[in-house]
Amino acid sequence: MVKYTSLKRKEETFGWKLISPTLILIGFLILYPVLYNIYLSFFKVSLNFGEKNTFVGIQNYLNVLSDLSFWKSFGTTVAFTLITVMGSILLGLGVALLMNKKFPGRSIVRGLLLFPYVTPLIAIVFSWKYVFLPIDGPLVQFLSIFGFNSGTDMINDPNNAFIVVSIFNIWRNFPFVYLMILSRLQSISDDYYEAAELDGASSWQKFLNITLPELYFVIGSIALLRGIWNFYKFDEVYLMSKFANTLPIYIYEKAFSGLPQQGVAASIATILFVVMFSLIGFYVKKVLKW
Amino acid sequence: MKKLIVLIIVLSISLFVFSKTITFWTTETESDRQQRINALATIFEAQTGIEVKVVPIQENDLLKQIPVAKNSGTLPDLLEGGIEPLLLLASSGYMNEDLTSKIIKDFGDVYPGASRLLSNGKSNFGIPFHAWVQGIWYRKDWFDGKDLGYPLSWHNILTAAKSLNNPAKGVYGLILPKKADSYAEQVFTEIALANGARPIDENGNITFTSKAMIEAFRFYKELNKYAKPGYTTVLDALKGYLAGEASMIFYSTYIMDDIAVEDVQKSRINSFDPKLVLNTGFANKMINIRPTSYGQMVGLGILKTSNNTEEVEKFVKFLMTPKNYVYWLHMAPGGMNPTRKSVAESSEFLDNPILSRYGKEKISEIVGALDSVERFEFVNGKVISDMSKLSANFVIGKAINYMFANNWTPQQTAEWAQKEAKRVLGK
Repeated sequence: MVKYTSLKRKEETFGWKLISPTLILIGFLILYPVLYNIYLSFFKVSLNFGEKNTFVGIQNYLNVLSDLSFWKSFGTTVAFTLITVMGSILLGLGVALLMNKKFPGRSIVRGLLLFPYVTPLIAIVFSWKYVFLPIDGPLVQFLSIFGFNSGTDMINDPNNAFIVVSIFNIWRNFPFVYLMILSRLQSISDDYYEAAELDGASSWQKFLNITLPELYFVIGSIALLRGIWNFYKFDEVYLMSKFANTLPIYIYEKAFSGLPQQGVAASIATILFVVMFSLIGFYVKKVLKW
Repeated sequence: MKKLIVLIIVLSISLFVFSKTITFWTTETESDRQQRINALATIFEAQTGIEVKVVPIQENDLLKQIPVAKNSGTLPDLLEGGIEPLLLLASSGYMNEDLTSKIIKDFGDVYPGASRLLSNGKSNFGIPFHAWVQGIWYRKDWFDGKDLGYPLSWHNILTAAKSLNNPAKGVYGLILPKKADSYAEQVFTEIALANGARPIDENGNITFTSKAMIEAFRFYKELNKYAKPGYTTVLDALKGYLAGEASMIFYSTYIMDDIAVEDVQKSRINSFDPKLVLNTGFANKMINIRPTSYGQMVGLGILKTSNNTEEVEKFVKFLMTPKNYVYWLHMAPGGMNPTRKSVAESSEFLDNPILSRYGKEKISEIVGALDSVERFEFVNGKVISDMSKLSANFVIGKAINYMFANNWTPQQTAEWAQKEAKRVLGK
């Protein structure tokens, strides 16, 4: 008995030793910035030479929560996350179902579909901007054959910013969803479908009663991951249009442009952190049933 | 042998311990320019033993990097930047104004107009390093054919744009900035100042809704009737002009090599028009109710946080001694113009294939315009540092962008800009 305990303890110590480099790294790279951010959110951060930061208590939080533009941005971000997550899942699911069927050249098409996701972002952004150029852009030139006004600049119009970044995000990220769903689809046993066919089930019934339940946890996990990523999405949105006004851009502008208000920006980041943490907790418990 | 190794080690350690290093942030990020700057830094190190760490930073990111560098204690000793970031840094107390003023005085031949643009009236917050002038570059041959006069006045510009606009043939009166960026603000500044309009007056009042400013927005909107459609940017203007799509564009003197040099032009539009340099005219002023010119002064700012002031002074003086200075300025002939009279007038400076193509007279005219350059940041000898905050938030660019996107009237545009300026400045 004594022997067993000491062996167990040894194993435990060995385990801790193995994970300690990771723990230290996470501590430095994640925990420290998070804690420093929370600390900064209680200060008026001075950028003037020789002037120290002033402690302002929860004033930054009160300012943010009473600022109408924060709530507008918050609403925009929630809408952006919902639309893009649902859009990319629907598109990814549709494409995965198609790619699960056998047809000549399927492996080539499967590979080509990954391009939007694997091509460097900056290259794609510039390609999109080029394709949609008014007058000289290939798409506009093509559409003008059918009487479309070639002077319209769809992608750079600040009023279209939200739609443009949403469509762009769905298009760029659907291959990730498609890949995940396809790998799950391939592991569903054919026996289920054969049995259902014997019972006279229609295609829709098979999809609803076999495919969808089998995909439930995959789609749930994808929705969680994409939700977190898109809620904090900065690069794609900022490169496509600075007018999309989502929260990460709002924070960036508060923290770095013109008159930087780093304390305020830190408090917004903390609020987002708390909101996301609670949402993730709820989602994991209720939807993923962990 | 052992003794030699010990000696080398001791020497390298002492060099490492005693040699000084200064950090220099430059906004010349292009690789060919970096090569030249690094070459200068290497020569400087060989001559003085002082190492210069050259850090390239995008001009638009300069102000964003300052808070980060301040927090991490990595502020540079010296930085290169335009009027706005230097002014903003000076107003936050970052610049070593005493040393800056001393260096300018030591040179003794810096153009007063250039020096004025980096001064708060009492002392200088930046050493004028090089400058460009903005104006209208136009197709002289097309203008001559229609007897349109010079595009100097609002009336002439509008008449020419209207007369030369022919979209059916793919030619436009002009290409106008319509995106929310600093190019839109630069162009609008010249137009507004020609009408005596300013966003902030000398008492610090925001005056976007003044009659003169609304007229400036109206003129801008009117010009757009004869401009290339779309939210065109600075690159559209450049490429459009080189490709013969535009009769006029607003551009800085940085365009000179694009117009004159085959390789440069081909890198932009895949073809070369050898006659373009002869067929191009440059209007370096604009007038409606008063004349004005627009330009940018790029200065060297010495930070107060620097502990290496002696070394920085040596490096600045090294960079601006005639031989090294001309080597630097020839990175972008025409775009980078000297601020020291002795260098501007020297044959070494003009000894360059592009500058000699334009001729001494044209170059003197460009450099001469530096004396009459005006900016929203300066009014009657007063410095309006709030203007730099509006620029950093692209208030004017956004107003122009929205004016076209929402088809706002000039009045609505001015009202939006007034409200936005108040929000940005917290007034």
